[in-house]
Amino acid sequence: MDTIVEMKNITKQFKNKKAVDNISFSIDKGSIVAILGPNGAGKTTVISMLLGLIKPTQGTVQVMGKDPRDIEVRQRIGAMLQEVSVMDALKVHELINLIRSYYPRPLDIDQLIPLTGLQKEDLNRYANKLSGGQKRRLGFALALAGNPDLIFLDEPTVGLDVTARRVFWEQVRSLTQQGKTILFTTHYLPEAEDYADRVILFDQGVIIADGTPDDIKSKLTVSSISFKSDDPDLCSFLLTLPNVHDVYEKEGRIYTVTEDTDGILASIFEHKLAVRDIRVEHGRLDDAFEQLTTHPEMDTKGAAIS
Amino acid sequence: MMNVITMQCKAELRRIFRNPYYVFWSLILPIIFYYIFTRIVNTNPDDKGLWQAHYLMSMTTFSVMGSSIMTLGIRIVQERVHGWSTYMRITPLPEGVYFFGKMFGQSVMHLFSIIIIFTAGYLINGVSLTASQWILSGLWILIGCAPFLALGTLVGTMKKVDTASGVSNAIYMVLAVLGAMWFPLDSFPKGLQLVSKWLPSYNFGNGAWELIQGNAPSWDNILILSGYLVFFVVLSTYIRKKQEVV
Repeated sequence: MDTIVEMKNITKQFKNKKAVDNISFSIDKGSIVAILGPNGAGKTTVISMLLGLIKPTQGTVQVMGKDPRDIEVRQRIGAMLQEVSVMDALKVHELINLIRSYYPRPLDIDQLIPLTGLQKEDLNRYANKLSGGQKRRLGFALALAGNPDLIFLDEPTVGLDVTARRVFWEQVRSLTQQGKTILFTTHYLPEAEDYADRVILFDQGVIIADGTPDDIKSKLTVSSISFKSDDPDLCSFLLTLPNVHDVYEKEGRIYTVTEDTDGILASIFEHKLAVRDIRVEHGRLDDAFEQLTTHPEMDTKGAAIS
Repeated sequence: MMNVITMQCKAELRRIFRNPYYVFWSLILPIIFYYIFTRIVNTNPDDKGLWQAHYLMSMTTFSVMGSSIMTLGIRIVQERVHGWSTYMRITPLPEGVYFFGKMFGQSVMHLFSIIIIFTAGYLINGVSLTASQWILSGLWILIGCAPFLALGTLVGTMKKVDTASGVSNAIYMVLAVLGAMWFPLDSFPKGLQLVSKWLPSYNFGNGAWELIQGNAPSWDNILILSGYLVFFVVLSTYIRKKQEVV
């Protein structure tokens, strides 16, 4: 497949924070890719570099084989940024038509409006008087106005309710059927899982996982067997068993982390280990995600640059 | 391309004329001042007709100077603070077209202010000038405000709307008073008159004051205004470039 976006050895150093640390990835044409991670993971920094809004400290960014600031690239991309409030004193339809006029092959207005879920009567209202949810819809309309091949959506569903989210993603799906490539950021795991072909998981400026939602899921999901025991040598023995990733003690119980809980149970009985009160636990994906990306030592206020 | 420029100019015009502050600051306020200082406060001028025409020019230059500095400056800050400037950078719209649209919008607004305030002068005091005096003084005001537009872009580099609005208001008022737009230069102490003659506002006003007396604006006026224009453009470009580096 053709590569449409490529980042090679990208580092972005802000004054007092390394927002992105030597990352590389490329994105295939026609795919829908989620950049997932908690606040402060570097998602917006990555998007901003892909849009040519900020320059990487090191490394090269190419969009459609060109510098992201190239006019030909600009004519073929659309983006919905975080916290874009719209120009004041213009009506919705005036603003949409203004932005459409910037592009060589804009999307027909009659095609554009249904895609965004804006109502006919919204079109005659002043853009800055719209509600939060309607503003996001307008932001989406502006992103699509130029009929772009590549669409960037930075936290697109923040502030939308569950129904609006679903409708939004249905529209995005329909765009990929037209061969468009979509790159979106989210800190909301189910969204990445449900709507992306591929998830790139970011944490503290590095990629910690990259694959299909299923890959990510199996990587994130952790199962464990826990029990009580008085045998001091048990831990070191457990670690010698196949498929055991970790053994630790917590609140008087010994936890054995593994994806093969059945095999470990069999070994326990086979070796007649002195254990009691056995429990098998399958970690929930949400918890695992949270665990993977929560750093108690991190100052949450320092995560403002996300 | 033509279409983009037309659309951009149209959008800027709409935004300017839909702004209620414009009507107050740029039209109503100067006309009220004009009424007060030519009809209510008796200044006992030697030549009443000349004073009425002179003060009409003062108020028109006052109005246009204000919208150049404040409307433009505050709007630029607003667009940046609200993320709109960032959005524009990812669209294919060339920066030049964007800038042209802004300047076009401002110029049409200024032309509109000039026509309205001149008409008010005619209606309030029956100010009578020759056709060429009306046209030339109008043109002088339209073109001579360039240094103030440049000053507006300088205000536009400020970080917060509140700062920009406060600072530009202060600059505007100081320039207006010291530039002899509110009170004639003869009423100033000698030392202050010297300061005034070096201010862009005095030179802006003086061009129009000369024109209504049948004289051409002096070279001093043109040179000083050009000097300020270059200075503000260079300073504002420099600051902008510095801010852009990320």
